[in-house]
Amino acid sequence: MADLTREAGETLATTAPPQSYWRRVRKRFMRHKPAVFGLCFLVLMAIVVVFGPFVLPYGFDQQDYDLIGLPGPMNAEHWLGTDQLGRDATTRLIYGGRVSLAVGLAGALVATFLGTLIGALAGFYRGWVDTILMRFTDIMLSIPPLPLVLLLSSLFRPSPPLLVGIIGGLIWMGTARLVRSQFLALREREFVEAARALGASGPRLIVRHILPNAIGPITVAATLAVGSAIMTESALSFLGFGILPPTPSWGNLLNAASPWLSTAPWLAIAPGLCILLTVLSVNFLGDGLRDAMEPRE
Amino acid sequence: MTTKITRRDALKGLAVSAAALTTMRVLPASAQSVGGTLNVGLTYEIDTMNPYSTGFLGDAQATVLEGLLAPDENASYVPVLAKEVPTLENGGITLNEDGSKMTITYHLRDDVKWHDGEPFTSADVKFTWEAVKNPDFIAESKSGTEDIESIETPDDYTVICHYNGLAPDFASTLFTFGILPKHHLEGVDLNTSDFNETPLGTGPFKVTDYQAGQYVVVERNELYWGRAENGDQLPYIERIVFKMITDSNTLMTQLRSGELNLVVQTPLAQASQVRDMNGLELINAPLLAWHHLTFNFASKASLQDVTVRRAIAHAMNRDPLIRTLGGFPSPIKSPVVPVFEFYDDTVPEYAFDVEAANKMLDDAGYARGGDGIREKDGERLSYNFMVQAGRADDENLQQVMMAQLQAIGIEAVPDNKTGVALREARYNGDYDLYYGRWITSADPDYSIFWGTDGAINGQGYSNPELDAVFTELQNTLDKTKRYELFSKMQHIIVDDLPSLPLLLLTAAIAKTTELNNFVPNPTNMTNFVHTGEWYLKS
Amino acid sequence: MSLSYLLRRLGGAIPLLLGISVILFAIIHLAPGGPLDMYLENPSVSPEAIEQMRTAYGLDQPVPVQYFLWLKSMLAGDWGYSIRTGKPVLSEILNRLGPTLQLSGLALGFAFIVAMPLGVISATRRGSKLDTGLTLFSFAGISTPVFWMALLFQLLFSVQLGWLPSAGYQSVGDGSLVDRLRHLVMPATVLSFAIIASWSRYIRSGMVDVLNQDYIRTAYAKGRTEIGVVVLHALRNAMIPAVTVIAVDFATIISGAVITETVFAWPGIGRLFMEAMDGRDYPILMGLMMLGSFGIVLANVIADVTYAALDPRIRYG
Repeated sequence: MADLTREAGETLATTAPPQSYWRRVRKRFMRHKPAVFGLCFLVLMAIVVVFGPFVLPYGFDQQDYDLIGLPGPMNAEHWLGTDQLGRDATTRLIYGGRVSLAVGLAGALVATFLGTLIGALAGFYRGWVDTILMRFTDIMLSIPPLPLVLLLSSLFRPSPPLLVGIIGGLIWMGTARLVRSQFLALREREFVEAARALGASGPRLIVRHILPNAIGPITVAATLAVGSAIMTESALSFLGFGILPPTPSWGNLLNAASPWLSTAPWLAIAPGLCILLTVLSVNFLGDGLRDAMEPRE
Repeated sequence: MTTKITRRDALKGLAVSAAALTTMRVLPASAQSVGGTLNVGLTYEIDTMNPYSTGFLGDAQATVLEGLLAPDENASYVPVLAKEVPTLENGGITLNEDGSKMTITYHLRDDVKWHDGEPFTSADVKFTWEAVKNPDFIAESKSGTEDIESIETPDDYTVICHYNGLAPDFASTLFTFGILPKHHLEGVDLNTSDFNETPLGTGPFKVTDYQAGQYVVVERNELYWGRAENGDQLPYIERIVFKMITDSNTLMTQLRSGELNLVVQTPLAQASQVRDMNGLELINAPLLAWHHLTFNFASKASLQDVTVRRAIAHAMNRDPLIRTLGGFPSPIKSPVVPVFEFYDDTVPEYAFDVEAANKMLDDAGYARGGDGIREKDGERLSYNFMVQAGRADDENLQQVMMAQLQAIGIEAVPDNKTGVALREARYNGDYDLYYGRWITSADPDYSIFWGTDGAINGQGYSNPELDAVFTELQNTLDKTKRYELFSKMQHIIVDDLPSLPLLLLTAAIAKTTELNNFVPNPTNMTNFVHTGEWYLKS
Repeated sequence: MSLSYLLRRLGGAIPLLLGISVILFAIIHLAPGGPLDMYLENPSVSPEAIEQMRTAYGLDQPVPVQYFLWLKSMLAGDWGYSIRTGKPVLSEILNRLGPTLQLSGLALGFAFIVAMPLGVISATRRGSKLDTGLTLFSFAGISTPVFWMALLFQLLFSVQLGWLPSAGYQSVGDGSLVDRLRHLVMPATVLSFAIIASWSRYIRSGMVDVLNQDYIRTAYAKGRTEIGVVVLHALRNAMIPAVTVIAVDFATIISGAVITETVFAWPGIGRLFMEAMDGRDYPILMGLMMLGSFGIVLANVIADVTYAALDPRIRYG
């Protein structure tokens, strides 16, 4: 994912987007079939995880004491069977999706905010601000990401909001570099010069004049960050350091299902498939957005 | 075992023997022959082969190093390198005039050789005490070293230990873990010595291959002193491979595929998966361990209210808990488990009764809030609930208990920890509820848990009435009086509930049917103490 | 490219590594609890003895002082001693490095052999069904959770088919090459999957750019065979953008190794890391994190230098 964002850094937005720009973007996006598929899948997934729990007859932590001990088979009452504690696996899968998607979105938001902030400051002010911020970015890029997340999670045992912070705090660097390169180019453009001549101050120039012109690449990077964040959360939870049961997440569902791989493999297959399809859709969507917003030719 | 139960906890009290456990010794069948490889799966990674510095229970270590004494399958001590267990009756233990200090005399076997052929003598025993006591040696188990004032060795096979007081638990410490070879280790830094990987011992097996994080291979010691009843030179088994497999799924897969043929700590929830497998048998072996739900008295005001603790006791349905653990454990109501003589069956039982529990809380003024969680005096009954992280069995139990607490309007939020962080939280009381396990002892002096100054009382519990009972117990030798005091202790604990006893634990031992003479050892650390007599037969 | 460029790049890595070490040291040492807490429960280890150990390990000093002491001995080649085993950190790490190098080496080699033709085929058959299929495959590759794939492989090849051992490094007493490879093949394949996906995409896009350029058209015109053109002219230039992702892949490998080694019980540094976290073995954690960061920094330098060497158009003064 990070590799896709890197490419995005090399293209530049040309002018302030006029009205027709968005029409062209939409047109180009609709031609990107995988991206359209991805968007549809994500919308569908969002509907299911947001509204599913209201429709389903079971609670995510509701245990059927008669079924405790072993995973139960798939049947009409329990489409994906029950888990080792007699809980409906379908309900947990859907609720787990809610948690995983929420953590993924929130983590990506944090990362995008941090990346945009750091990249904008570095690119706009240049000089020592740029040097310090970019050296810091280099440092963060040079520490192996998963071990660092694991280390932080095991030392501090984060609550879900803190977990979001940790995940977001470790995947912002690509965005920062991207935004910086956008700012470096844009700050020299005529419309910025004009605004500056009219007396616009630094923060105002950044937020009002430059940022809107970099919105395309930032959107793409933010989209791809959602995929990274979901993957990171699921890896952490799988290793037992992320979201703690009984709150389900796709990662900890996989963890809980792994002892029953030979007797109830569907319990492990389903959440993994959900992660795969969701992250795949996010990546398709990001690719489509890039093609639409930053045409290469 | 990944729980770090120090062996002091594990063995303390076993000195007073006579456990009422059924003997599971299999009588020697037909002809035993030398040979065969036994592949053992350990659920932890051996950190060092030195039994004094390992943080785990010394399974592999027990095949290589021997102590003077060892606990047997009935949790009573039997001689190993000593000729007999010293007691007051046989003159092995003598007291000074005012009865305040004791002296123990060991008579050693004279036919024992170290793996390198050197003779084993009293000098080795004295050296072991000095080496373990040495402050530069960083060890997990130094218990007992400070109790000894001096050691005399009048001849090669006599050791006289002068204690600086009375140490009724002397057999559970120091010389039981293993004797170290003086000729091999004198002047060596035990912290960094290769003894930690390939120790030289007197045991039936010697280490031939040590692969950190992977496996330890021990092979037959041909110089071993042990003889079977029929005169055979022991041991029978040619080779034992201890494989370290921390991942429980891999462990189960390797049991199924035949890559492992003995696992003494099969994850309970998964053990049923091998129950009907050809060539394997599952032994449900009793352990002296029990599960408890412990309340922290120093964190939440509501937990200091005995009504809340009793309501929680009524809310616990043990049946689903047992089934979560594959159906292996059994329910208990007293912290002194029923297999022991001091168990008092007259302690009351908190029957599973959600209605009664809810009524108790309603009457005491804990009213349900909008979300169904109770509140009183501005405190919401929401507790941090800790179990050992990464341990599937415990995390599953935790979730079942959380649902049961929910039913009486109490919220429990998992706050699981592992390794050092877990121990730190346990002993600093950094939790509201803690579900854990303790190794019980036949002489259940539980002041260590619930005495106001108890060494591992991390829950801030203090009950002067109970303290008085503990003090009296420590100064009473009369057995009838001790029965009375232990009964009183059990009634106080069950009534006041500093901790709620829940389940008596068992070990699911999966072993190949080819392995004979294997005797489960309830002390949870010495399944491998008497490996000399084991043999493989197809 | 000149030697002075190489030296300058290497010199630039030093402040970077210092910065990394400060951040890591701070994270590890400012966390609540410490490695000696395990002795707190042990009634036979007196508080004085713990204090003694704290002094012996230098844990009683303020964190900045500890950092400089650590840095000083690190620069002298002394990585400290493991708190759990008492052995030197460096030897503990080196003991576990071999299996990890085997695993990641095979995974990288495998990825290279597979990704190269995939990328080339995709690029030369641009827009074909095959190209679309391969692109979808590589998207799926970067979207598949490593741990999930590892579980599925175990389910299929060990539990269902019984072809391969489910986990471990070798069968005891069987150190043969065949036995080693049987243990190695599953984790290495899982680990290589994501890299194959990313490399094939880079090689494809590099190839597409190159194939559009004039000199390739000229080569065609001169009547060389298609394969010859591709191999001789295009591939070298197509590799240039791919080289720049080496550093990112290095990080991917490290992260993947932690997960893969955990699932497959592979006795490498990933497992050592998980054990050290459990025991709060600060010196080991610090050593491993620094080693990983050093690897990434070095990979970055190599990528830059290789980039310069491969592309004659780039001149660094």
